[in-house]
Amino acid sequence: MIELHDVWRLYHMGEETINALAGVNLEISHGEFVSIVGPSGSGKSTLLHIIGGLDSPTRGSIVVDGRDLSKASDKELSSYRNKKVGFVFQTFNLQPTYNALENVALPLVFAKVPLGKRNQMAREALNTVGLSDRVRHKPGELSGGERQRVGMARALVNNPKILLADEPTGNLDSKSSERIMELLTRLNRERGLTLVLVTHDLARAKNANRMLQMHDGKLTESADFR
Amino acid sequence: MSFLDLLRTAFSNLRRRKLRSSLTILAIVIGAGLVSLLVSLGIGMQGFLTDQVRSVVRSDVVMVASNPDLFQLGLDGMGIGGKPQQISGNQSGGFNLEPLTTQEIQEVQALKHVERIDPFIILQADSVRLKDSQTRFRTDVTPQPEYDMELIKLVAGRKFADQTHGECIIANQYLDVFGFNSPNEALGQEVIIRVKQAVSLFGLPAQANEYSFIIVGVTEKTLTSTEIIVSLTDGEAMSRFWANTPDLYTEKIPPAILEVKVDGSQYTDQVAREVKSLGLSTVTATDMLGIIGTIFGIVKAILSAFGLIALAVASLSIVNTLIMSVYERTREIGVMKAVGASKGTIRILFTAEGAAIGLLGGAIGVAIAYLLGFAIDRIARATFLKDFQTIHVSVFPWWLIIGVIALTTVIATLAALYPAHRAARLDPIESLRYE
Repeated sequence: MIELHDVWRLYHMGEETINALAGVNLEISHGEFVSIVGPSGSGKSTLLHIIGGLDSPTRGSIVVDGRDLSKASDKELSSYRNKKVGFVFQTFNLQPTYNALENVALPLVFAKVPLGKRNQMAREALNTVGLSDRVRHKPGELSGGERQRVGMARALVNNPKILLADEPTGNLDSKSSERIMELLTRLNRERGLTLVLVTHDLARAKNANRMLQMHDGKLTESADFR
Repeated sequence: MSFLDLLRTAFSNLRRRKLRSSLTILAIVIGAGLVSLLVSLGIGMQGFLTDQVRSVVRSDVVMVASNPDLFQLGLDGMGIGGKPQQISGNQSGGFNLEPLTTQEIQEVQALKHVERIDPFIILQADSVRLKDSQTRFRTDVTPQPEYDMELIKLVAGRKFADQTHGECIIANQYLDVFGFNSPNEALGQEVIIRVKQAVSLFGLPAQANEYSFIIVGVTEKTLTSTEIIVSLTDGEAMSRFWANTPDLYTEKIPPAILEVKVDGSQYTDQVAREVKSLGLSTVTATDMLGIIGTIFGIVKAILSAFGLIALAVASLSIVNTLIMSVYERTREIGVMKAVGASKGTIRILFTAEGAAIGLLGGAIGVAIAYLLGFAIDRIARATFLKDFQTIHVSVFPWWLIIGVIALTTVIATLAALYPAHRAARLDPIESLRYE
């Protein structure tokens, strides 16, 4: 269960103060698939970062499974990011010098999983995303869709409860996008992963159980859903 | 992150940027190599001089002089730019020697563990030549008690007793100037040693006398290359002429310096202490080695200072390299944080990279210095030191190897602290957006 109570996130840009989030209240249940749409700069990513423990609210609280992230230390937050959530990025954020297996295994390094176990788990995750034949390939040798699947395997490798995807298909052609979306929905359905998807593609957003709209840091349940 | 992964990651990150890592490591290599090579040469030199002292000064001998501060005359006594020093009591204002009294000699003789005492014979010879030649050479005539000769290593011939008359042992280096092809050729030859009276030192009219000696032994090569060893009996006779005092080394004019043989080197310090308590001054092999140790301590410190400067410069290069690396890897740091790396993990990761640079640089530097030292050693012994086969010009004790590697690792780790701090402080969201 993810609960946000009156979450504000302010940025100072010179003299100006920007309200990236302006009093967001939100509850997401276990296993839910929530999509967040809105124009760029509306605060979608900030919301995702706060849910993922990469950023902290200026005001308000975020509680995940009873734990208040806004009061957590850096160490607690990093452990939360490591074990509870998986991030999928628009730009994949793969390490170009690492091969697929090493990229996927990275979270396990910080989880202190021994090398042998790590490789086994990373292989399984690559298997899940259908890339068991690309284990030794470096990102440069993979197509865009394949790279994103490596990114997803990395997000999944530590068996998180929550998957946070920030425009995961933003850099992909429609065929690859289709495949990634299928994979995400399947993970949500079959594994019961809580999935939060940020996108500005309305068609994709409609795959979710619930669609939220973000505008100027404020969140509204979308009226024209379905 | 486990320690093993930390090492693995640190080294693989260095491998990823081969050229830059190599250059940074090279800077450390130069510093570490300089420090270890220079110190190893210092150690080699000190070892050589220590051996030389040991071969000349026995560890069971105490040199005794009347003047209580004869051997303590140092720079502080010269008062350069300072106030003129007051001379207290019986002290002397300059370097001088006074004869010991018969009573003092008897007191020393009576001390426990004193085996025998001999006068230290002071003598300056004018020159030496072969009997049938007029070509003269400089020489240091050193009359030695029989037991002292135990330390001398001969390449030919034999030694002699205290009462011997007219026999000598020559330093190896004379073979060449006298025109002998082998040490054995010199044996049985006659040399003439000329002694000019000491007053000639002050420009006063002086007589000269010639003494004839048969060469009975030739030493191996040492630093004392102009030494000619004669018996105490001959030495006393020459010294009396030199000083123009027939009573020297008799009860009328006892010697100024005594060579006191102790019946075991473990008693040397004890006897030296007891002699001092009689109001006399002493010098032992330990004292001389101590002086050599002090001098070389300073020499080594100065030499390693050069290397340390190189290391300081190298550490700046580490700071630079790692800051660049933090910039380049900003996005990577963001990803690492996103997948669960804490600030502490990022910090230790970059610190470990610095440490790895230091460790590698130190190890390679010491290894190169070791090889260079070995080469210098070989070259030196093949050329200008070819007669001193026991010398090791460059010596690498284990503490030098470990110490230098530890030093570079610590310096590099310290240099990495600031870049590591910057990396740890990076905002993950900003980092993920970084292009």
